[in-house]
Amino acid sequence: MRITAFTQLILVLAVTAWVFLLPIPAVATLLALELVLLLYIKHDRMTMAAIGALTVFTGMMIVLQLLFGSSLYISLTGGLRMFVMTTAFLDLLAATKIQDIAQALVEKFHMPCEYAFMLTTALRFVPDFLADSANTLDAQSCRGYSNRGNVLKRLYAYLAVVKPLVMRAIAKSDTLALSMELKGFGANTYKNMQPQTLKSLDYIVLLLIIVLSSFPFWQKFIMK
Amino acid sequence: MSETVINFTNFYFKYLNSQLVLKNVNLAIPQGAFTVMAGPSGAGKTTLCKAMLGIVPFYYGGSYSGDIEILGENVKGKRVSDLAMRVGLMLDDYESQLVSLTAGEEVAFSLLNHGFKPQEVAERTKKALTDVGLPGRENYQLDELSGGQRQRLLLASVLAVHPEVLVLDEPVSAMDPDGAKSLYALLYKIYKEYNMTVVVVEHDINNLLPYATHMVIVDNGQIAAKGPVMDAAKVTYDNPVLRENLPRLWQIKFNLEQRFGIKLGDWRSEEEAQEELQEKFQGRISK
Ligand SMILES: Nc1ncnc2c1ncn2[C@@H]1O[C@H](COP(=O)(O)OP(=O)(O)OP(=O)(O)O)[C@@H](O)[C@H]1O
Ligand SMILES: [Mg+2]
Repeated sequence: MRITAFTQLILVLAVTAWVFLLPIPAVATLLALELVLLLYIKHDRMTMAAIGALTVFTGMMIVLQLLFGSSLYISLTGGLRMFVMTTAFLDLLAATKIQDIAQALVEKFHMPCEYAFMLTTALRFVPDFLADSANTLDAQSCRGYSNRGNVLKRLYAYLAVVKPLVMRAIAKSDTLALSMELKGFGANTYKNMQPQTLKSLDYIVLLLIIVLSSFPFWQKFIMK
Repeated sequence: MSETVINFTNFYFKYLNSQLVLKNVNLAIPQGAFTVMAGPSGAGKTTLCKAMLGIVPFYYGGSYSGDIEILGENVKGKRVSDLAMRVGLMLDDYESQLVSLTAGEEVAFSLLNHGFKPQEVAERTKKALTDVGLPGRENYQLDELSGGQRQRLLLASVLAVHPEVLVLDEPVSAMDPDGAKSLYALLYKIYKEYNMTVVVVEHDINNLLPYATHMVIVDNGQIAAKGPVMDAAKVTYDNPVLRENLPRLWQIKFNLEQRFGIKLGDWRSEEEAQEELQEKFQGRISK
């Protein structure tokens, strides 16, 4: 049994709040949970690379904060908070198809369907675009493109690569737009999908989110 | 074969910033025809295909005069997406026409947008994928499919809405000869099975030799030849500039007919030609 994309999105939002609301040991525990979850869902090279890159980036953030005169404690907790928030997103992306996220955004958060659809089209066309630019670069180096010489020369040479790329990208998006029109894209696109209904597990998780998010409240008034 | 599915009357068109691209087009595509459309680059073939769904002039803008009727109705005031339910279009850049992340979603996309029930969407998706030779691939990611398979996926997504007419613009331009051959064989199978009307833009008519019933030659925005395939081929042959567009086999046929004042068959394959030639010219042509 799994929780729906809606609950997962709420959970991610909640985590970003928790890193500020909950005591630091709890945030650290959260991180451990997130990492276990992430590696449980997916432990391919991409995931490892993402965690690695995130670690390096967090380290740089901490060093930077130290350089700007923050205390060690503040720098470390700042780094931890960022790490936890970002890992929550990694978890989300690993656990759910982007299509389901887009659907939940339209269904439950009333995001306009054009924006939601952009999420999935980006995922579809970015690899295409990268392959395209690699091809164009190859083609242009065959015709004598090189990135040597002074800055102006290099800039000029680079234009020779960019121009056909941009032209192709425009032609492609024109075709894409036409194709979406032909296929009747619009408000109905998400309305007619099988709706994502919340199950009991969702309600349990949502309840848990409410309890944890109100931690400062019951800490102040009830625990005393 | 008598009813007309797409009808142009005195149609002229220019894009927002172009010269006249289509001039005085009078063209009737008969129901059940398998039409091959050819002509020089820039002649206006793609534009004509787009006009068959009212994309030109109503989606792009530009100016036009004359009329287009699709399945008996004037396209004026119709929504392109509604027309696309009856006339399926595949443009040459098939990659950019795929809008989803998985094969199943791609085929289901149009159907969902037009309010089909999930149950029927699933059934039609399954059927369409089977029809194009991709059975059971609903959950494949797009990048798990080869180029040829992605193109057949696009065909499946067009077929799933059960259009009466299929318009394809240079569907094999990015394919190797074997791929081209098998795509057209598949197309022909579907055309036969569902009694469709098909229009294909293909500069190498050789690919469609076995299948074409009708032919249209577009030249400089005008219809240079049209009608049943051999009649149109004859007209094309009589124009020395356009002759090049015909398959070699037919150029030879008309050449021989002219030289010897005879009538030869409608050759659809080299074997057919060889057979007839051997019969008619036995002993008269040395090898
Ligand atoms: N969107 C547009 N805006 C302005 N002019 C256009 C547009 N699309 C096509 N044209 C022009 O219209 C003319 C016909 O183009 P079209 O693409 O229909 O030709 P085609 O026969 O399909 O050519 P090809 O064999 O190269 O595909 C060309 O001169 C082209 O420059
Ligand atoms: Mg074209």
